[in-house]
Amino acid sequence: MSEGLISTRRLTPAVKAGLAVFARYATIIGLALMIVVFSILSPDAFPTFSNFINVLDQASLAMIISGGLTLALIVGEMDLSVGYAASLHGVLVTGLIVHDELPISLAMAIVIALGALVGAANGLIVTKLRVNSVIATLGVGTIIVGLAYAYSSGVPIVAGVPEAFLQLTLGRWFFGIPNPIIFMALVVVTLWALVERTAIGQEIQAVGGNEAAARMAGISVDRIKVLGFVISGMCAALTGALLASRLGSGTTSAADSYLLTAFAAVFLGSATLRDGEFHVLGTLVGTLIIVFGFNGLNIFGAPTFSQYVFQGAILIIAVGLSSLGRMLAES
Amino acid sequence: MDDAPQPGTPTASPLVSVKAISKAFGGAQALREVSLSILPGEVHGLVGANGAGKSTLIRIVAGLTQPDSGDVVIDGRRVTINSPHLANELGMSFIHQELAFVPGMTVLENIMLGLPKKTRFGVVDWPAIARDVAPIAKRVGVRAPLSVNVNGLSTAENWLISITRALVRNARLIVMDEPTAALSTAESERLFGIIRELSRSGVAVLYVSHRLDEILELCRRVTVLRDGRMVVELTGPALTRQALVEAIVGGAVESQPNHAGACALDEIAISVRGVSRAPKVKNVSFDLKKGEVLGLGGLVDAGRSELARMLFGADRPDTGEMRLEGKRFAPRSPSQAVKAGIGFVPEERRAEGLILSKSVGLNLCLANLNSIIVSPMLPLISGRRRDALVSRTIQALAIKGASADAPVGRLSGGNQQKVVIGRWLQAEPKVLILDEPTRGVDVGARAEIHKLIRGLARQGMAVLVISSDPEELPDLCDRALIMAEGRIVGELAGGALTRHAIISASYAGITEQSVA
Repeated sequence: MSEGLISTRRLTPAVKAGLAVFARYATIIGLALMIVVFSILSPDAFPTFSNFINVLDQASLAMIISGGLTLALIVGEMDLSVGYAASLHGVLVTGLIVHDELPISLAMAIVIALGALVGAANGLIVTKLRVNSVIATLGVGTIIVGLAYAYSSGVPIVAGVPEAFLQLTLGRWFFGIPNPIIFMALVVVTLWALVERTAIGQEIQAVGGNEAAARMAGISVDRIKVLGFVISGMCAALTGALLASRLGSGTTSAADSYLLTAFAAVFLGSATLRDGEFHVLGTLVGTLIIVFGFNGLNIFGAPTFSQYVFQGAILIIAVGLSSLGRMLAES
Repeated sequence: MDDAPQPGTPTASPLVSVKAISKAFGGAQALREVSLSILPGEVHGLVGANGAGKSTLIRIVAGLTQPDSGDVVIDGRRVTINSPHLANELGMSFIHQELAFVPGMTVLENIMLGLPKKTRFGVVDWPAIARDVAPIAKRVGVRAPLSVNVNGLSTAENWLISITRALVRNARLIVMDEPTAALSTAESERLFGIIRELSRSGVAVLYVSHRLDEILELCRRVTVLRDGRMVVELTGPALTRQALVEAIVGGAVESQPNHAGACALDEIAISVRGVSRAPKVKNVSFDLKKGEVLGLGGLVDAGRSELARMLFGADRPDTGEMRLEGKRFAPRSPSQAVKAGIGFVPEERRAEGLILSKSVGLNLCLANLNSIIVSPMLPLISGRRRDALVSRTIQALAIKGASADAPVGRLSGGNQQKVVIGRWLQAEPKVLILDEPTRGVDVGARAEIHKLIRGLARQGMAVLVISSDPEELPDLCDRALIMAEGRIVGELAGGALTRHAIISASYAGITEQSVA
């Protein structure tokens, strides 16, 4: 029981129930309101089918990395390395394709495997060396920045990027839908099914809910935590590789800013429908809020600074809503 | 820091009274027009089954929850207690089952936590504070020096430190919630002496406990709650064990010893030979047969939980050997132990037994995930199998007021405990270990849990029950081992397994200096 601005114990049950509903649906209402307001303000540019597809296209890379981060947070750990890892893997995949002339599919497979390896390193440092995950992933993330520089000497790999690699994100291979949306849909469905519908998902939820109780029920807590990090690492790698394809280059800091976006999306998601618990579909709603917000700001030609203000504010509001939900659920 | 406020003033006006307090949580009415008054210097008992409303009532007086209606009156004045701080200012202190100390701080620092401190030139003057606190600590019987770290002190010592803290705050009412739950008999006796002393010096105590013998020994007046209502206030000759039990349960209880006896088979489920782990477990050997309920009795800190942790793979023995159905058994983690066929119901139900925010269904399924998936090749959860398993278990356990989807944290203590046990019902481990299975559980739920445990043994499961409650082992077990100071000091079975025998064996095994 904390003495917050909103001290739950002084509220009448009716107000509390109202607040609980608000905390649970605020994100969805917010998303709907944002779409309505933008549509009214910019009826020609915003509420068009092509713009919505465009927004989803933009949201897809953010969603993939946020979806992975969701898993790390569900098992009760932080992963601050995702942005740097995505950048490194973007450089790597470009290098493998341009310099080593590997087939695109093989290069992609290699970086996703490396992403899993980075995740496993995070997980083992946290579970075996008992390093707090904030520190562990910050450390690993910083090492990764170093590796990216070592690999590329800080010079973006631009020349000689094959058209086929660009088509990975530019193409519309199925039903005219941009490929990134397909990738996003696959990742969301897989992660959702993994967490909500598989035996291992039950263990993941148990570890996140109460580590000690999960251990006493016979669950290998360490293994589950490492798995959370591995999935986070793989999703970060996929995002980094897709971003390199979209940019047509491998740049050492290209994906760094995804860290903040992903955290904001996951926390917004935890405030969605489930009283402060992290879950994959919530993260999807969170990602859409952020990307629609950016899209709207762009359409109105808002200055650059406002985008930072928007993202910072969203992160704080997200965490605030999330803990409000948790507080009300507990009282 | 006067330690004897108005000695012997026989005032009839209550120190604290609550009048017609009602409180609802969501749809559930936790308290209905409950009234209760506490006189200065009296030891007042508060009893009731789990979910009867005791905790809610205490939380209201402590300023942690606001009542929907009704008044709290202190010294004849109506007060609105809207924070724990105000409750302290009004002279009330609360000592909970889980004591809250800051680890790493000294005894004195913990006693003074949140209190204004004497300073010299702006620096806290600990020597002066220690001089003030020392007489109070001595009066309460704190043995640890004030300057030592609180880490590693016994639960009994922690209680005494908490009482000291209350007195330093000039408390006129100390609310104690299940104080003896983790204390040995000797430690409890010492606590009772101190409670009586407090009472003589004018400090009132609200004593909350499931242990009726203690209530009868300590309290002159007892308030009984049932289903959120105040059922009766018993005092004088009307205050008997029988009357209390009837008031708690709401009618006469069938006293049926479910001691089914001799269903133990001859096959040995687990054998333990010469197992030691410094410093708590010393050279322990025993056999547990299939179908047997084996009790593990003794005083708190006798090494029983530490022994259980080794059986469950949470710790590894330094020396010795364990065999599960004849095969060498050396689990390196709880998950290995579970795979080998061990089930565990830990002592700390909320901290280690349950995932409170998750559903009853998820909590029940945790040890049974392999039986609810579509196939090992396709590890998706089959909704049909899951629902069947959950509803079968809920039915078998008679868990009340629970839908499978409700968060388990909303259930009462007894029902929560049933969920932890229920997890192992379908998993059918070879050996089930239960650590204090009925602590903090009401009389009715306790009988049901005992029946459940006997039922599992009848199916051939080997059951090991750790219990500090000497009445529980004769009720429940075929045989009991008594531990003291890390060793097995006695074995009792059949007619010899009595409350009296358990207590005397527990003490017989203890060397002189560790007895109070």
